[in-house]
Amino acid sequence: MTGPTVSFRGVEKTYRRPQLLGAVYHTAVKELSFEIPAGEVTGLLGLNGAGKTTIMKLITGLLFPTAGSVEIFGLPPTSRAAKGSVGFLPELPYFSPQESPGAVLAYYGRLSGLGGPDLAAGVEGALRRTGLEPHAGKRISEFSKGMLQRLGLAQALLHKPRLLVLDEPVSGLDPLAIHDIRGLLAALNADGCTIFLSSHSISEVEKLCSRVLIMVRGSLARTVTRAEWEAAPGGLEAIFVETVK
Amino acid sequence: MKNTLYAAAAVASNSFRESVRNRFFTLFAVFAFTSIYASVLAGVMAVDQEGRVLADMGLALIELTALAYALFSASSSLLKEAETKTIYLVFSRPVPRWSYLAGKLAGVLLTSAFMLAVMGLMHLLLLSFRGFGVPPFYAWALGGSFLKLAVITSFAFFVSLFSTSPVSTLVISGILWTLGHFVPETRFLADQAGGLKGTALNAAVWLIPNLQLFNARDVSGSACVLGAPAFVSAAAWVGGSYLAALWLLRRKEF
Amino acid sequence: MEKRAGLFLLLAALLAWGAGSSAAFRGYRTQFPPPGEIKQAGGGAPADMFALAFGARRLFADLWFVRLMQYYGTRELSDDEEQEELESHGKPGHHCHHGADFGKGRYPDFLPMSLHILQLDPGFTAACLYSAASLAFNLERPDEAEAVLNYGLRYSPKEWKYLSVLAAIGYTKAKDPNAVASAIAPMLKDPDCPVMLKQLAAFLNKRAGNYAAAAAIYADILVTTKDPAYLRNAARELEKLKGRTSKR
Repeated sequence: MTGPTVSFRGVEKTYRRPQLLGAVYHTAVKELSFEIPAGEVTGLLGLNGAGKTTIMKLITGLLFPTAGSVEIFGLPPTSRAAKGSVGFLPELPYFSPQESPGAVLAYYGRLSGLGGPDLAAGVEGALRRTGLEPHAGKRISEFSKGMLQRLGLAQALLHKPRLLVLDEPVSGLDPLAIHDIRGLLAALNADGCTIFLSSHSISEVEKLCSRVLIMVRGSLARTVTRAEWEAAPGGLEAIFVETVK
Repeated sequence: MKNTLYAAAAVASNSFRESVRNRFFTLFAVFAFTSIYASVLAGVMAVDQEGRVLADMGLALIELTALAYALFSASSSLLKEAETKTIYLVFSRPVPRWSYLAGKLAGVLLTSAFMLAVMGLMHLLLLSFRGFGVPPFYAWALGGSFLKLAVITSFAFFVSLFSTSPVSTLVISGILWTLGHFVPETRFLADQAGGLKGTALNAAVWLIPNLQLFNARDVSGSACVLGAPAFVSAAAWVGGSYLAALWLLRRKEF
Repeated sequence: MEKRAGLFLLLAALLAWGAGSSAAFRGYRTQFPPPGEIKQAGGGAPADMFALAFGARRLFADLWFVRLMQYYGTRELSDDEEQEELESHGKPGHHCHHGADFGKGRYPDFLPMSLHILQLDPGFTAACLYSAASLAFNLERPDEAEAVLNYGLRYSPKEWKYLSVLAAIGYTKAKDPNAVASAIAPMLKDPDCPVMLKQLAAFLNKRAGNYAAAAAIYADILVTTKDPAYLRNAARELEKLKGRTSKR
C-alpha cells in the first residue's frame, strides 16, 4: 500500500522581515497537519492571507518550514526525486514576451530533465492538451490572459508529473476555457495524477474536488468531503462562509 | 551530474537569449558604436598619433559599455526572476541552485563576450577604414577586459542576493570596479605607511581585486601579455564570488 | 548538517578569494610611477583621478598629448612682438613670418605637460620623443629635453631611441651635425619617430650634400605624417631637391 502523496505534520511557517532595528515576524501557517492520498483531487479554500500560497510553496520546496515536516511521496520537497514528480502552476505566471510557446516549454522541459525526442514529444503533447496548438506560431506578447494561463498549465504537465499543484488554475479563463481545463484535469486524475489546487471559485472546487481543506488565518479550520457538502443545505459555499466567519 | 550540467546549460542559453533580445542591449550597442565613431574626431586632433588614440579610445569605450550592460544584467537578473515569479517555475523543478546560479553567471558572461566581440569587430572596421591595422595588443586587451568583467559581474551577482535594489548593486559593484584600479597605488601606500593605517591598507589590497592585473589595454609592449597569475586570479575571484552567492542562494526562499 | 554545509561554502568562498588575491599580489608588478609622482599641469587633477579610477592611463595620456600638440600649435607672440607685427604689417621692409617659425617660442608649460604625459603613461614612447625633439631642436632647450628623456629612461631603461636622441642632443651641443644625423638615422623608419626628427635629419643630409638621402626622408615625411606644416615644408623641399638632383 503506497503512502500519502503529500504529508504535513505539525508544520509551521513564520516569515521574518528585517527592519532597521530588529525584525518583524509573521506566522503564515501554524500547527498544520494533513495528508493527501494518492490519486485524489483536493481543494484548498481560504480568504486572502489565509496561507494557501504558503502551503503550495512548502509543497514545491520554494519555502522551508520553520517547524514540523513536509513530505512529498515520502521524500523531502527539496529532493530531486520529489521535484521531478511535481508540476507547479503559480498564480499569474510570467513568460518572456518575445519567445514562442514552444521555446518556453522547451526551456522548462530541459530544466525538468527532458531532452531529444522526449522533449519534443513533451512540448507537443503539452501544447495539444492545453489547446494551444493553434497558437504555437505566435509570440507570448500576443497571448491573452487565458492563453497565458493555459501555457502555465502546459509547463506544469511537460514532464508527466504524479502530483499537480495548481494555484488558481482557472483564474482569468472564460467559461469555455474553464470547461476545457476541468476536462483536462479530470482526465489527468483518471490517469492517476494527484491534484492539489487552490481557488477563490467555490463552484469550480465543488466540481473538481473530492475533498476540500479550509484555511483560516494560517490554521486548518476544517476538512470537508464531497459527501458532506453535497448533503449540507447551501452546499460548500455555506460551509465555507460559516467556517471563516 | 549530467542532468544538472544540462540544466545549467539550459539556464545559460536562456539567459544569453534574453540578454541579447533586451532592448537595452540594442541601446548600449548603439551608444558604443556612436561613441567609437565619434572618437574619429579625437583621432584627427592627435595628428600622427591618430592610430593610437583611436585604438585606446575605442577599447576604453568598449570596455565601459560592456561593463555597464553586464552590471545592469547581473544586478537585475535574479531580482527580476523573483519578482515575475519565473523563479518559481525553475526551483519547483529538480534544478539544483548551484546549477541555476552557474547557468545565470555563464549566460551573462557569454553576453559580455558577445558584446566585446561585436564591438571589437566594429572598432577594427573603423581602424581599417582610417588606414590602420590591428594594434598588436588588441586580443590581449579584449581578453583582459573580459576577465575584468567576469570578476565584477560575479561579484555583482553576489551583491544582488542581499542588496535591496538593482541600483544599490550597481553602485556597490561600480565602486569595487573603481577601487580595483587603485590597488597598485594602495599597495604602494601600504608599503610606505605603518601601524593601523598600513594594516588597513594591506587589508584593502587583499580584499579588493586588483583589476590592473587584467588591464592589458593600458600597458604597452610585452607587458600587455596576460600571464598565468591573471587567469588564476580571475578564476579564483569569480569562484569566490560564485561560492559566496551560492551560500546566500542555497537557503533563500521565494 | 545544513549549517555545516553553509559554513563550508562560506569558507571555500573566502579561501578562493584569498587565493585570487595571493596570485595577484605575487604576479603583478606595476609599470607605472607611484601616484605621488603625478604632478599637475594645467589643472588636470580631476582628469588624472578618472584616468586612475577607470584604469585608462593610456587614454588620458593620449588626451594630454593632444592638449600638448594644441598648446604647441598655438602661435606664440609676446605683446610687444604682436604690436610690432600689427604696426608694420604690409609696410615696405616688413618680413612677415606667416607662421613659418617651426615651433619657436617660449611655451613655458611645454616641459610640465610633457612630463605629465609620461607620469601617466611612461610607455608612451612617441610622446617622449616628440617632446624631447621639440624641446631640443625647435625650442632650443636641450636641458629640458634631457629631463624628459631621462624620465622616460627611468621606466623604459631599454628604450634605445631615447639614448639615440640623447646622443643627438649631445652632438648638437658639440656642434657636430654629421654625428647628429648619424645618431638619429637608425630611428627614421621607426613608427615612433617624431616628424621633427625626420625633418632635422633631412635638413642635415641636405646641408651635407646628401640630396638623395634628404629627398628620401622628405618623401617619407609626405607619406607618414598628417601635420600640415611639415607636409607643406616637405613638399616644398622635395621640389627644390628635384631640381638639384636632376641638374647632377
